[in-house]
Amino acid sequence: MGATIDVVVDGEGVLADAIRSARPQGECTTTVVVASIATRATAFEALTDEAFDAAWEQPMQRAISAFQAAHRAGHHRLIAIVPTIGMSGAAGLGHAAATAEAIRVMVKSAARQWGADGMTVNCIAVAPELFGIDAADVGTVSLAPPALPASGTVAEDIVPLIRLVAATDAHHLTGATLTADGGVWMTA
Amino acid sequence: MSRLAGRTAIVTGSGQGVGEGIARRLAAEGANVVIAARRADTGEPVAASIRADGGSAVCIETDVSSRASVQACVDATVQRFGGLQIMVHNAFRGGIPHRLEEADLDRHWKHMSRTGVWAVLFCGQAAWPHLRAAGAQGRFILLTSPSGVEGSANIPLYSPVKAAERALAKSLAREWGPAGVTVNCIGPVAASPALLAAFDRSPALQDAIEARTPLGRVGDPEADIGSVALFLASDDAAFVTGQTIICDGGSFLGL
Repeated sequence: MGATIDVVVDGEGVLADAIRSARPQGECTTTVVVASIATRATAFEALTDEAFDAAWEQPMQRAISAFQAAHRAGHHRLIAIVPTIGMSGAAGLGHAAATAEAIRVMVKSAARQWGADGMTVNCIAVAPELFGIDAADVGTVSLAPPALPASGTVAEDIVPLIRLVAATDAHHLTGATLTADGGVWMTA
Repeated sequence: MSRLAGRTAIVTGSGQGVGEGIARRLAAEGANVVIAARRADTGEPVAASIRADGGSAVCIETDVSSRASVQACVDATVQRFGGLQIMVHNAFRGGIPHRLEEADLDRHWKHMSRTGVWAVLFCGQAAWPHLRAAGAQGRFILLTSPSGVEGSANIPLYSPVKAAERALAKSLAREWGPAGVTVNCIGPVAASPALLAAFDRSPALQDAIEARTPLGRVGDPEADIGSVALFLASDDAAFVTGQTIICDGGSFLGL
């Protein structure tokens, strides 16, 4: 095992707290950006400008700043963590899905530009429940049941993936989305 | 020639380029078309040209970054034509090449966020009561980009805006499906004024794009992109929703 990784979590809520508590360690200097995702389902036609600003504009501006700070710090790994609703869509949660998918694709843009700077940029997409989103609000996004049994903890399911991407051996992995939701959403 | 007879469509950003092509194609199939352009001096000639060809079109000056302006456009459309079945959001402002680490929110982000993602909110909310009333004829069509799927090395903050539009389309497809309304995206690469200007500046860019495109050319706004919009707007696509149709001659094959 090499140097202790420097994980900076830019985000709010239960998932960011769980990752901080796990104190993940690895080999490369790493920034982990946990997306700030709205959790309250609201019919699209009822969304106010204030709610949309809080769900879309402000989280995106924070995410852009967090990405820039990681690059400024000269970190070798940037990992964004988003819920899978960006890929699947979710009724009543379009405002949250927009932010999740925007950050997931911003990862690809950053990977394309910053590869030459020695930084890899990847995304881990996790079950919406880990962000505090009610599964009932997301609804059924796949006809098939989850491929794996019930998930464990963030420390057991997600932190090992952070270590995996933060390892020196992952030097050729960039612009990728690792979907870690127990096998619900299988179309990345 | 009358697949959309009796229906009304608003096309934002249709004073030129892809929006104009879509508006012309929908009008040619009998739709009443509202040319929702930021400047009347670009929108009015398009509307007049469509009318001269026998179509039904009016220009309504519209700033998609303003909720009030979009609402006024929809209200005027419904008052003029009696309803609204098809809302096409194409207008977009921004897209300046930049380095992500140097991106400035005011210069490189806010215009794109406002005219891209916020405008989906404004257009969707203003149109929704009328699309719901239209039931199975209700259509919300968003113009996105292949960059919204694969990212962009040249305009990195363009891709998240276009990705967000796709996520909104999927979510709205789920939300509005029970009313029969479909929501889809088109990801074009077409001869817009911006792209043609870029070709003028850099003929090598045109060569590179055409070389990587299996069909060997960029799309025509009316014949190529307008036809896809027509399909999505027509009854033929009543069972298609939440999808992105990449219309770029096969350059991007990642879906």
